[in-house]
Amino acid sequence: MKLYEHEALESIYKKFQIPSPKFVFATEPNEKVREFIEKQPAVVIKSMVLVGKRGKAGAVKVVTDKTKAVDVFKDLATREVYGEKSVGAIVCEKLDIQKEYYLSVTYSTKDRAPAITFSEHGGMEVEEIDHKLIHTYIVGDVRAIYPYQIRKFLVGIGFSDPEMLRPLSEIIVNVFKAFWETECRLLEINPLVVAKVGDKKKLVAADAVVLLDDDAAIPPSIRFSARGDMGRPLSQREQDAILIDQGDHRGKAGSYVELDGDVALMTFGGGGSTVTAETAIEAGLRVANLTDIGGNPPAEKMYKIARIILSKPGLKAVLVCGGTASNTRIDVTLGEGLAKALDDMNAEGVLNKDLIWVVRRSGPEYVKGLKMLHECFVRNGIKGDIYDSQLPITEAPLRLKELLIKHVNYQPEQIV
Amino acid sequence: MKGPVYLNENTGIVVIGATGREASQVIKESEALYPGIIKAGVTPGRGGSSELAVPVFDTLFQAKKDPAVGSKINTALIYVPPASVLDAVMECLDAEIKVIYIITEHVPIRDSEIIYQEKVRRNAIIVGGTSLGCFVPSVGRIGAIGGKDPTVAFRQGGLLIISKSGGLTVTTAEMFKRRGWGTYCALAIGGDIISNTTYADVLLQVKDDPNVKGVVMLGEPGGSYEEQAAELITSGVFKKPVAAFISGRFQERMPEGVAFGHAGAIVERGMGKATDKIERLDAAGKKYPVKVAFYYHELVSAIESLGVPRDFEDSTAAHVAPLYSTIR
Repeated sequence: MKLYEHEALESIYKKFQIPSPKFVFATEPNEKVREFIEKQPAVVIKSMVLVGKRGKAGAVKVVTDKTKAVDVFKDLATREVYGEKSVGAIVCEKLDIQKEYYLSVTYSTKDRAPAITFSEHGGMEVEEIDHKLIHTYIVGDVRAIYPYQIRKFLVGIGFSDPEMLRPLSEIIVNVFKAFWETECRLLEINPLVVAKVGDKKKLVAADAVVLLDDDAAIPPSIRFSARGDMGRPLSQREQDAILIDQGDHRGKAGSYVELDGDVALMTFGGGGSTVTAETAIEAGLRVANLTDIGGNPPAEKMYKIARIILSKPGLKAVLVCGGTASNTRIDVTLGEGLAKALDDMNAEGVLNKDLIWVVRRSGPEYVKGLKMLHECFVRNGIKGDIYDSQLPITEAPLRLKELLIKHVNYQPEQIV
Repeated sequence: MKGPVYLNENTGIVVIGATGREASQVIKESEALYPGIIKAGVTPGRGGSSELAVPVFDTLFQAKKDPAVGSKINTALIYVPPASVLDAVMECLDAEIKVIYIITEHVPIRDSEIIYQEKVRRNAIIVGGTSLGCFVPSVGRIGAIGGKDPTVAFRQGGLLIISKSGGLTVTTAEMFKRRGWGTYCALAIGGDIISNTTYADVLLQVKDDPNVKGVVMLGEPGGSYEEQAAELITSGVFKKPVAAFISGRFQERMPEGVAFGHAGAIVERGMGKATDKIERLDAAGKKYPVKVAFYYHELVSAIESLGVPRDFEDSTAAHVAPLYSTIR
């Protein structure tokens, strides 16, 4: 889960002594914002959004004319950046920047270890920096890290400013500790600037990109508010789905990403879900959601996610698809959980009987489970075909496409 | 020795977190299919319980000291909740167990990193987290892979199937079985960011194993483990035929950072794209026996065209009719 810059500054930078500019966060130019602007000779104002490349979108502005600062704040606190609405803005002191570094910590799958990436040529997108100017320090032993190790690394890469060697090595260690102790998967500071303060030089982290591990000991959605990765706030259905798995590790049913299409996916297993969604999209079906159910969830979890998936307006079809499960019980998930959702929705008068269903599933108790689901289809007047694993998994979306064209004259998307 | 290092005729399993819902079902099923492969279970506070078909101990050290089963335990199967996995792995490593499977999903990345570094120091083999286990038809299985009736998907043959996805491991074995190829070993390595056993680790382990006639590799976006396998092949270390399928191309049409599927299946800052992995493997295929399937089901024709011999006859129906229909 990604943090907003102000959240990272408040909850992580302060705690781990990563120096940042003085700042105020607000949703509107309130008294605090006005006071702050008053005290500073010049300020920087930034929209608080999760999407990157804010500067290029004009959502980061340097304001030297103080009379305009309040209006700029008002604009940036509410503006849409690449389609994402700002949750507010921060106003910070304008630094006297001498130099811009790039610094990040993330996991390297090449080394299977945390990797500290540093460049003396920061300020631009990391992809744009010449690869020869980017250097990586692999934390091969996470039990301890000391500034001297970082100094050795910096000297080794020919770091050019001896004056900054000690403070930089200490900040890098603090950044690593922040990454490690708050269970990040990415902590990026771009730029980490050398600022002139009076006649002294000081290192200041002028930005914060923080991705927290969703599986961290304390789930980030509890520490901070839940949010999507789609550059937009979570839909009600997405928020409801997250709650399904909270505090209950028996299987997983709470993944739901809402999309624009009309074919609902009820897909199982990481690989099975991906392969099914991929084929459906390649076949031109407009997918209404992505989901990934697995790990043998109990019937009540399946019930909840099924109702969430089916509650989306405008659906034309449902694809229930998974491989041959090893431990997910087909009678429990489809025969009980899904069937009960359909029974209840029918009883409540909210079941859309025009939907066309294709089911393809196998695994423990699948004979019983598919029969139970078929009986549910019959008693509720639901239209569709049910297959077991004799049908290759990637053919199921194609069969649904055939039915849709035949019965509702569906116009598949042309995939180039 | 019959079977690879991951699971062979000498394997004796202890299940950590044995009395949990998932684990007790797996023990029950495994005992019915392969009696004696599981030697003991461990659940703190449940020592001496007779609820399972195997003896249950409070600690692994007690299990290891037990005169009846202790000396036969050499492999651990971990089924504890995510927050307890690190503790369970350390207990296994301290008990000098050298092959460990982590079945648990959602292990914190930080804990996975600590586990990986400790595993390297102790020279152990750890598969997972998020593994579904291992299946070797000539020997037996570890974990729930293949479910109650593994003969649906598994028959003895010459394929080595390596997959991040547990479900697809079985689905793939079944698809090949219907077309005449059996499995030598199927290993679900899990889709975590820090993976304790990667494709390359497995390929290195079996590169001289004559039982492996061909490899089926199932990859996902995120990380660089598929690229590492491609590198191992292009460096000439692994020479057997490899058919690969990398899922998740469609994710590249979605906003960066969208997490779907496994924890590790996320493209970050342009790294770990499915198309890049496909390109690397395709490049390896120019000089070495590697084929990347465009569609998942084309893995079968890939293995065929690489000349991997069938183990038995093709038994596919030309057109599969639905089991039930309420629409025609």
